[in-house]
Amino acid sequence: MKRILFSLTIAGFLFGCEDNINVELAEADPILAVDAWLEHRTGEQQIILQYTRPYFDKSSAEGIQGASVRVLEIEGTSPRDTLVFLETEEGVYSWSPEIASDSFGTIGNLYVLEIVIDGKQFLSQSRLNAVPTIDSITFRQEDGAQNFIPDFFAAEFWSRDLPGEGDTYWIKTWKNGEYLNQPSEINIAYDAGFSQGAPVDNILFIQPIRDLINPFDEDPGDDFQFLPPYEKGDSVYVQIQSINYDVWFFLTNVIDETNRPGGFGELFATPLSNVHSNIVPQDENEKAVGIFSVSALHGMGRKFTDDAIRVVQP
Amino acid sequence: MKKYLLAPLLVVLLTYVQAQEKFTLSGYVRDASNGETLIGANVVVEELSGGNITNVYGYYSLTLNPGSYTIKYRFVGYETITKKVDLTENLRIDIDLPTEDQELEAVVISAEAEDRNVTDVEMSTAELDIRTIQKIPAFLGEVDVVKSLQLLPGVSTVGEGASGFNVRGGGVGQNLVLLDESPVYNSSHLLGFFSVFNPDAVKDVKLYKGGIPPRYGGRISSILDVRMKEGNNKEYDFTGGIGTIFSRFAVEGPIVKEKASFIVAGRRSYADILARPFTDVFDEGAQLYFYDLTIKTNYNISKKDRLFLSGYLGRDVFKFDSRQGFSWGNNTATLRWNHLFTEKIFSNFTLFFSDYDYELAFGENDRDKFEWTSRIQTYDFKPEFTYFINPQNELTFGGEAVLYRFKPADATGVSNGESTDISLAEKKAFETSLYIGNEQKITNSLSAMYGLRFSHFDYLGKGTAYTFNDTIPGQRRTVLSSKEYGSLESIAAYNNFEPRISVKYQLGPTNSVKASYNRTVQYIHLISNTVASNPLDVWTPSTNNLKPQIGDQWALGYFQNFKDNDYESSVEVYYRETQNQLDYIDGAELFINELLEGDVLPGKGRAYGAEFYLKRNKGKLNGWISYTVARTELQIDGVNNNEWYPTRFDQAHNLKVAAFYDINKRMSVSGNFTYLTGTPTNFPDQRYEIQGYTIPLNSSDSRNGVRIPDYHRLDFSFTLLGKEYNKRGKKRKFEDSYVFTVYNVYGRRNPFSIYFSQGSDRQEYGTPASTQATQLSIIGSVFPSITYNFKF
Repeated sequence: MKRILFSLTIAGFLFGCEDNINVELAEADPILAVDAWLEHRTGEQQIILQYTRPYFDKSSAEGIQGASVRVLEIEGTSPRDTLVFLETEEGVYSWSPEIASDSFGTIGNLYVLEIVIDGKQFLSQSRLNAVPTIDSITFRQEDGAQNFIPDFFAAEFWSRDLPGEGDTYWIKTWKNGEYLNQPSEINIAYDAGFSQGAPVDNILFIQPIRDLINPFDEDPGDDFQFLPPYEKGDSVYVQIQSINYDVWFFLTNVIDETNRPGGFGELFATPLSNVHSNIVPQDENEKAVGIFSVSALHGMGRKFTDDAIRVVQP
Repeated sequence: MKKYLLAPLLVVLLTYVQAQEKFTLSGYVRDASNGETLIGANVVVEELSGGNITNVYGYYSLTLNPGSYTIKYRFVGYETITKKVDLTENLRIDIDLPTEDQELEAVVISAEAEDRNVTDVEMSTAELDIRTIQKIPAFLGEVDVVKSLQLLPGVSTVGEGASGFNVRGGGVGQNLVLLDESPVYNSSHLLGFFSVFNPDAVKDVKLYKGGIPPRYGGRISSILDVRMKEGNNKEYDFTGGIGTIFSRFAVEGPIVKEKASFIVAGRRSYADILARPFTDVFDEGAQLYFYDLTIKTNYNISKKDRLFLSGYLGRDVFKFDSRQGFSWGNNTATLRWNHLFTEKIFSNFTLFFSDYDYELAFGENDRDKFEWTSRIQTYDFKPEFTYFINPQNELTFGGEAVLYRFKPADATGVSNGESTDISLAEKKAFETSLYIGNEQKITNSLSAMYGLRFSHFDYLGKGTAYTFNDTIPGQRRTVLSSKEYGSLESIAAYNNFEPRISVKYQLGPTNSVKASYNRTVQYIHLISNTVASNPLDVWTPSTNNLKPQIGDQWALGYFQNFKDNDYESSVEVYYRETQNQLDYIDGAELFINELLEGDVLPGKGRAYGAEFYLKRNKGKLNGWISYTVARTELQIDGVNNNEWYPTRFDQAHNLKVAAFYDINKRMSVSGNFTYLTGTPTNFPDQRYEIQGYTIPLNSSDSRNGVRIPDYHRLDFSFTLLGKEYNKRGKKRKFEDSYVFTVYNVYGRRNPFSIYFSQGSDRQEYGTPASTQATQLSIIGSVFPSITYNFKF
């Protein structure tokens, strides 16, 4: 927690300064971008197909119409089912289970995405992995820092990584119903820790991951003041999604490319590079970006009341 | 290859036969005021218009026919001493040269200007004496060895905030930085703003950009050889300075007069102390400082033996509170023994230990924490011999044995009391080398320096050797197979011959042409994929997957002095080819990663350029202009569509101007100007949204295809020396000076990098983010500062 505050303090000493500038960027042809995230739950599932557009283009993306979108379910080695996604809006392809109480998917099965646009085929695959449960959510008191933030309460979720190395997760958070979607709030885990090279298996998610469900928003009335993440009466909802390794690697790249630390943190940043994609064009002259992911979910909500406070022994 | 080895041996044998009735004049050349030996002093035999240059320990040796000679001892900034010598037996003459400013006004200064840049066979070297370094306007007024070198041709940096330096298009990790023979793995403090060398303890700085002599090896780009002072062996001296960011203090003096002396020099920054009133984070144990301590002592055992013991301890600390933060530091210890087997055979034996480590720690209590230490340790033994055969031949030979211990990660994660060890196994390697070289004056106008270095590298167990699948662009290479090796079992071994040659042809008394070729081999690699090199970069050995880096450099130069050596000038062109250069897959994980080699992509490199240099040595207004036009590129399968691309430190134009003007005896001004082509980088051209995040896309998949804006900066400083005489007209022992510096005079916001983002606001679902480009300047304003220096 203090890490963030301290970085702000020393950023001041290191006298870095930033300017928003106009940069002329190269022109490029738009390509297919696939946003296909299916969840192991009831209700409608969507796959979005759009064209990429110039980086500084602030208008909405153009959807791709008239594509054929199918998801094949494979159990073991044999095909089990084919889910046909139909275009419901421009570029949005949807599928709903025939019986409303049925969920999409079966844990352990493999799903193959097939997209055909103007006779060109694009493929991807993803396995529906199991997800651990969240046991509880607590709040603990933290010291503030002079001129930055008063003393505050930080939320933590308690969950244990599944046994076996190589499980990957995305943890999403909602505060009072609002989804925390800043790039700095992307919270992913490789087993209970951060990285593949240093796996920490089958323990409680490590503290930086438990803590990343706290939003630190600037006080709109005061530039260098931060609002406490949660106050009495606020509610928090945390959801763990199981994701595949390549989706985890994609999100790792997304953090690198979108969560720019700015200031002195840029000294440790890597130059811009393209994020990973698991969409494979079958025609080698075609290009595509994006992700196909299937996930199992577990979520838990908690209102911040006195009995949710965890006292930390120093 | 055998003929390389035989040629110098033949020279030795032939001259040995002839040398029977000759006698040797030898000794040390020292500074008369403090007894420091002088490196590179000229010892000239007038009758032969030739001579010898003192070596790094200040020793010279001349073997001549019996007779009467006039010997001149000279060194820039010192009075020349002329001695008549009757050489009828071996003679030992140790000479103490007085500095020019110590002379009485009545004495006519007889020092002749130096023309060594023209007459020496060495080329592609950059030398700065500490007195020049002290005059260059420095960031926050702090005199800095590495920053000063960056004003010379062929030397550059990626920008403010970047650790280390780049030489002739080489990477930061391709420079061998030696402090009293011992390697320093990270030469920067405070993320590159300052170098680790305390100028109060530095005697001599020499950078080899090419024509690297056979005695040096282990890095492919350059050798920076920094020599520390031995310490005044006549009287106690205290020097120090109080600056804006840190203070320095050094003590030197005799232990046994004229026989043994010491120097202790320390520095510490105090940004944390100054910031204390503005924030309470420091009261909770936060720390932000660096320090370094340089210690050296020496003992003249006899006329033939001298011992040196030196050490360096330095550390940078950034701590958020008493438990969390990061720190890094170098520690080195060197023991050296100079021994004269005869007057003609000088030897030095070096034994050293070097340790570079960094630590990261997070977690406010023991139940939840992460701790990581990474280090590289080096144990080295290096015998070196110089055989001063005759004024025409100087033979050097020796060897080196190095044991490396890489400990990339000693790390633990604790979550709610449950601990996991995520350490990586230690890697060991053994590097040995043998070399022989001769510097030969073939005719009056033709000289050559030639030699051969043989190096051997063994990557040792115990450990796991992996083999990886082929590269698929944009993907990590996966493990194909692995094999376990036992303790000290050889996992991979490499042998290399490294020929070195430099030739000089004197066209006339004031001009010469020189050419050189050298092959250098580097067995350890600095792994870094950030915009600029930083202290957390990892060193790793060559393995079965990572092959040794090999560099071949050709250089050609023309050297000309004008107006009685008042002006010196040179033009050098170079071409360098490198093998087994490293780049990384997108999204590579370089920190704690057992399968690091799978994220690394090998390829080849090339660098070429021309360096122009014009310097004025004398006069009230002196200084230099340096201009380099260069290119440095890599070709790596899996990057930039397999085509050549510029490295991050490619700079097409690099212009530096340094000027010094003495207003009067007490006041002087100096200025320097820097212009650099912008650093290459990647920009996106397209965007797309996945799960609400705006993702930049560089659809051509090019690497370093665009550049950030050019860099230019002007600095200025004014030095006021304290009064030389007190009110009663007596000379003061206490010397002091004020240095006023203005860094970045016209306050340009020079870009360090440009990054693209979707902004920091929380996006509303379905509304496209308003993307932006941000230019970061590490120093974005004028930086004035005052430093007070003293000596007594």
